[in-house]
Amino acid sequence: MSNHFVFKSELWIPKYTGIKVYSVKEFIDALKVVDKFSIFYHMFINIFNYHNLPTFYTNSLSYWFYKNGHLLLAEKLSLVDPLDYFDLEELRNTLINVLEENYDESWDRKEKHPFYFITADREVIELGKFAHTLDEFIEGIKRSSINSIFYHFITSRIENKTTINDYSSWLYSIGEVKKAEKINKLDPYPITLYEIKKEIIRILEGK
Amino acid sequence: MLEKYIPFVREEAIDELFILSKKLNGLKVLHVNSTYKGGGVAEILQRLVPFMNELGIKTDWKVFKGDEKFFSFTKNLHNLLHLPFEKKISSEEFVYYLKITYENLKEINTENYDVIFIHDPQPMGLIVNKLKTQKWIWRCHIDTSTPDPQAWNFIENFLNSYDACIFHMPEFVYEKIEIPTYTIHPSIDPLHPKNIDLPEEEVKNTVAKFGIDPEKPLILQVSRFDRLKDPFGVVKAFKLVKKRYDCQLALVGSFAPDDPEGESVYKELLDFICDERDIFVLNLPPESHKEVNAFQRGATVVVQKSLKEGFGLVVSEAMWKSKPVVGSNVGGIKRQIVHGITGYLVESIEGTAMRIRQLLANKYLREEMGFHAKERVKHRFLIIRHLRDYLLLIYKILNQSS
Repeated sequence: MSNHFVFKSELWIPKYTGIKVYSVKEFIDALKVVDKFSIFYHMFINIFNYHNLPTFYTNSLSYWFYKNGHLLLAEKLSLVDPLDYFDLEELRNTLINVLEENYDESWDRKEKHPFYFITADREVIELGKFAHTLDEFIEGIKRSSINSIFYHFITSRIENKTTINDYSSWLYSIGEVKKAEKINKLDPYPITLYEIKKEIIRILEGK
Repeated sequence: MLEKYIPFVREEAIDELFILSKKLNGLKVLHVNSTYKGGGVAEILQRLVPFMNELGIKTDWKVFKGDEKFFSFTKNLHNLLHLPFEKKISSEEFVYYLKITYENLKEINTENYDVIFIHDPQPMGLIVNKLKTQKWIWRCHIDTSTPDPQAWNFIENFLNSYDACIFHMPEFVYEKIEIPTYTIHPSIDPLHPKNIDLPEEEVKNTVAKFGIDPEKPLILQVSRFDRLKDPFGVVKAFKLVKKRYDCQLALVGSFAPDDPEGESVYKELLDFICDERDIFVLNLPPESHKEVNAFQRGATVVVQKSLKEGFGLVVSEAMWKSKPVVGSNVGGIKRQIVHGITGYLVESIEGTAMRIRQLLANKYLREEMGFHAKERVKHRFLIIRHLRDYLLLIYKILNQSS
């Protein structure tokens, strides 16, 4: 079997779940039942849509808590790193636990701004580009869109059920262990996906 | 045509559009709205329809025709979907709506299409012609979060026969909708005369033509002369700013043909500002796109102090020109401005004045926010993203059945 890398990209369209909550308690209850791709949407939206902007927190759940004055919950949730999870149900349980452990029922009140649970209707498309060698791989990444970087570097972990991103997996398979490790350690939160792309290319072109 | 957008969104994004559209090869799509000219829907379709054809998806655009009586009813329906008020829908109006719908059914052949987009309530009744093999999508451009129950019942007569609906944002969706509901933001076109780059000299000359000093800071609001845009509040905020900063205010708008109140608000505004030297209330002819563009580029700070707003794309237009925007925390304004990053969201006249002062005092802050504002629009509010969302939606809806 040939070990070639298939370049793909990811597109989303937001779909409203119809679930709107006004309080922390309602939020926790909804989190228990909402479609798992809604959790995916809210945990990854900052990297997907806001990567080019400075953001207050790493995900949109935290931002809602912050906006409504629940700074502790916002901070606690912002440290849940979705990149540590390839199983969205496990990620859901972690989020619920963090909220339940840190939430005091006496805080319950109707907030001014509701939270709307959106889900991501995703489509992963093949771009018709392949890499058989490291040089072709670098060239392919140089010609990749931000959505493609997002898929291979971020969400392919969920598809492939591993915490190792697609680029690194392929690099491991051709024996480029150091490059694979360096790329897998990159932190996508403080920098934009454009910068991630540059950094990946820099690592790949390095010795 | 699409290649002209490469400088804005990069070549890879355009390539992906072509790849996605291959999945829709051979498909026939129809858009129906109620006007070819005027208004945001027509403006978007003028671009989207040729784009879809360029991508190999045979796309047509047809206009639903009605008379004054019909459109006066649908205008009332529009208002009732927005907010309940006293004027109700009569059974005679319902019958008239159906009569005009049946007349249009003879003119608008929907049979030969696979996917049909119906924009807003006017042509909604065409759904009675839906074939089992077709997908029909209702694109709603109205905030229906708190509709008049009777108006909503009217809409519901048709809505549940559609395969999906689209709203600008989740805040606009009425709770009782049962069909799949997507949220797609509207967009601006960077190649529209409203948004194209202009030489600095042209910007200066244009504002100077209206008596404005191009070298002095300029606060700007672009909007219809409508109380809901709160031009009086903007003037009050400006007066608070003016105590410490030597600056000018321009309220730029035009009379909309469907808004009989515009002229009286304009006159009232002129009385309100009295002979204030640095306030300019400018009623421009409807097609003054390049002039508005020049005002937005010439402004130091842009304001959108609406009391209620649909999506308010004029905010994105200003952000595209790297301007920080101080906007009310309402409607689509709060989806466009990222508070503290691309501008500020405010709740009052005082808040508006305070943020304008902050921005006037700090050039670095203005530039930083202006940079992020343009980036925000580039990624989220340009027409190419809008087109991609539509293609993906079509693909998803067609795939649901299989």
